[in-house]
Amino acid sequence: MTSTTLELPARGEPILTLRAVTKSYGTKQAARDVNLSIPRGSVYGFLGPNGAGKTTTIRSIMKILLPDSGEIRLAGQLLDGSMRDRIGYLPEERGLYRKMKCVDQLAYLAELKGVPRGEAIRRADHWLERMELADYRDRKVDALSKGMQQKIQFAATFIAKPDLVILDEVFSGLDPLNIELLREMILEEKAKGTTVIFSTHMLAEAEKICDAICLIEGGEVILDGTMAEVRARFPMQSVRVAWEGGGEPPAGLSGVTRREFIEGTWHLTLDEGVDPRSLLPELMAAGPLTLFSANRPSLNEIFLAAVAERRREVSA
Amino acid sequence: MTKVFTVIRKEYLERVRSKSFVIGTLLGPALMSMFIVLPMLLAGTGGDDQRTIGVIDPSGLYFDQVVSVLQDQGRTSLDLEQIAVGAGGPDAAVEELKQGILDESIHSGILIDPDFMNNAEVTFYNKSVSSMVVRDEMLRPALNRVLREGRFAVADVPDSLFNYLAARTSWTSISVTAEGGEQEQDEAVSFAMAFILIMIIYIMVIMYGAHTLTAVIEEKSSRMVEVLLASISPDQLMLGKVLGIGLAGLTQFAIWAGTFLLLSQRGVSVGEFSLDVAFLTPTILISFVMFFLLGFFLYATMYAGVGALCNTPQDAQQFQTPLAMGMVIPMMLLTLVLRAPDSTLATVLSLVPMFSPVLMFMRVCVETPPFWQIGLSWVLMLVSILLAAKGAGKLFRMGILMYGESPTWVTLLKVLRD
Repeated sequence: MTSTTLELPARGEPILTLRAVTKSYGTKQAARDVNLSIPRGSVYGFLGPNGAGKTTTIRSIMKILLPDSGEIRLAGQLLDGSMRDRIGYLPEERGLYRKMKCVDQLAYLAELKGVPRGEAIRRADHWLERMELADYRDRKVDALSKGMQQKIQFAATFIAKPDLVILDEVFSGLDPLNIELLREMILEEKAKGTTVIFSTHMLAEAEKICDAICLIEGGEVILDGTMAEVRARFPMQSVRVAWEGGGEPPAGLSGVTRREFIEGTWHLTLDEGVDPRSLLPELMAAGPLTLFSANRPSLNEIFLAAVAERRREVSA
Repeated sequence: MTKVFTVIRKEYLERVRSKSFVIGTLLGPALMSMFIVLPMLLAGTGGDDQRTIGVIDPSGLYFDQVVSVLQDQGRTSLDLEQIAVGAGGPDAAVEELKQGILDESIHSGILIDPDFMNNAEVTFYNKSVSSMVVRDEMLRPALNRVLREGRFAVADVPDSLFNYLAARTSWTSISVTAEGGEQEQDEAVSFAMAFILIMIIYIMVIMYGAHTLTAVIEEKSSRMVEVLLASISPDQLMLGKVLGIGLAGLTQFAIWAGTFLLLSQRGVSVGEFSLDVAFLTPTILISFVMFFLLGFFLYATMYAGVGALCNTPQDAQQFQTPLAMGMVIPMMLLTLVLRAPDSTLATVLSLVPMFSPVLMFMRVCVETPPFWQIGLSWVLMLVSILLAAKGAGKLFRMGILMYGESPTWVTLLKVLRD
């Protein structure tokens, strides 16, 4: 099998487009009329709670599943099996051959993406170096800690120099140091022009790294666009507030749509157009304030607002 | 195709380099000979225990003759002990004989009637049924000869006439082969050779077939399958695995065959049984390789398909046994086919693809069925392999989504029907 030559679009132009992709298991619709357009060279967040349909969509892109209907194009061409070589995929269900040496493992996975054997071994060595795992080159995967295994898997995803990389819950189970290491590498690869789809249910992580996102819930895309576009769609404000010795916001604050207590701080989501400062007098009256800040809403707040809006639309 | 080769290479090397491969290669022949040669050795030596036979010969005329005839016939395993007929007469001697049999100092005994030359009567005393062999295969022929020679002597027949009358027919067996040649044949050796070859097919197909099952389950339990399917299609992965494992099996077999040929050229024999390379005519050799390969691929693909549905070896057990039955049943039908290799029943059974590796090959070994039948069984097996591969690919695609739940025959059939 020869891999198709792809004419990559310019940076920022769509490299991957999904049109009306639908997939059901029995009576359950796991993906419903999914339309997406992912710009080249971006880190694109695939966001939504567990079971929202992210993995089904990804598996359709990888041709592991065949969607019931709809079309998927890579660089303008209908996706076929041979294009898999241009896509790197780190599934959430991760695995390695336990009895295989690290270097063989990486080389094997590179070969399966069409990299010739000699080159595959050279690249495996390069990536082991880059992942600070060169000492483990000839050790079996069994001898590695879980974090190290995850780094090997991460390297395997990038080893064939793919144009598009799909990372499903890449940071889960990693310590902060390694998260930082991988985050830097994702940004390095992005700088080289690689497009990264970053799928996660941890919205706070996505917020730090994504240029554009889509929010998926119940198999449907309920919101998508660049971060700026998404924020422009939800121009509401958010207020963080805390009182000395505890305390809580008085009931019936006007203009507040949601209140949530997270790690010692109250997060209040405001209705569009409400000036955060207008709340100050009432908040101060509730006790001595130790924190008051007006913020852009978090992705989490936007997601909740989008879900609420969607439900209103459906019931209307 | 390069990707399939990559998978073949990995599966092959992984197996050939493993400890179990080395151990299996060394122990395989030992195990196999235990299954094949040992029963033969036992069957051959079972009657060879040294046994004492009590002989009461009131006339005193026959004991020496019986001893010399037995010696002449090579029955060295029998020690004859004459029980003297004393004052108590034959009855007392019989009592003594019975006592000897009961306390096991004597295996069994005979009483030769004093008027043996006329009435030919012999009485056999024994304790266990198993002494029938001693009676029918050793003592009876010997006493028959004593009687015959005695009567010839009484009739005063000249030696030349005696030799003329006592002649036995002399037999040579020629097996007629399809190649138009003819060759002398030793049925026992041919049968043993055929049986060894069938056992090899049987063991290799079951053993390496089951390897594909474990290999596929390993892919699932190590959660590699999704990563792999992001690079390669299920059909390619399946093909690579089956071929890689099959090549490892062939390598092992080639090592065995090479050793066997080396040894057989030096003329190794096990007991009375010697390995006979002449048995391996081109038809048998080609058939062996074909049935070995086709049988392996048929079972390997079916095993792989079943493995794709399972998450643990425990899940697989319920599917494994019925599949293995496809090889076990023809082993049980072997004697049936052997008795009438060209009967309609044997022909039909040997054309069933799952049975062909054993039954059709057995027929090739014993009487060379028409070539169209051999060819047809190959075609049928090939078609079954393609069908099995198609089904296995389907099961594989579906199977990856089935983490967590244990599969049943119902799910298996459902997936195949969809």
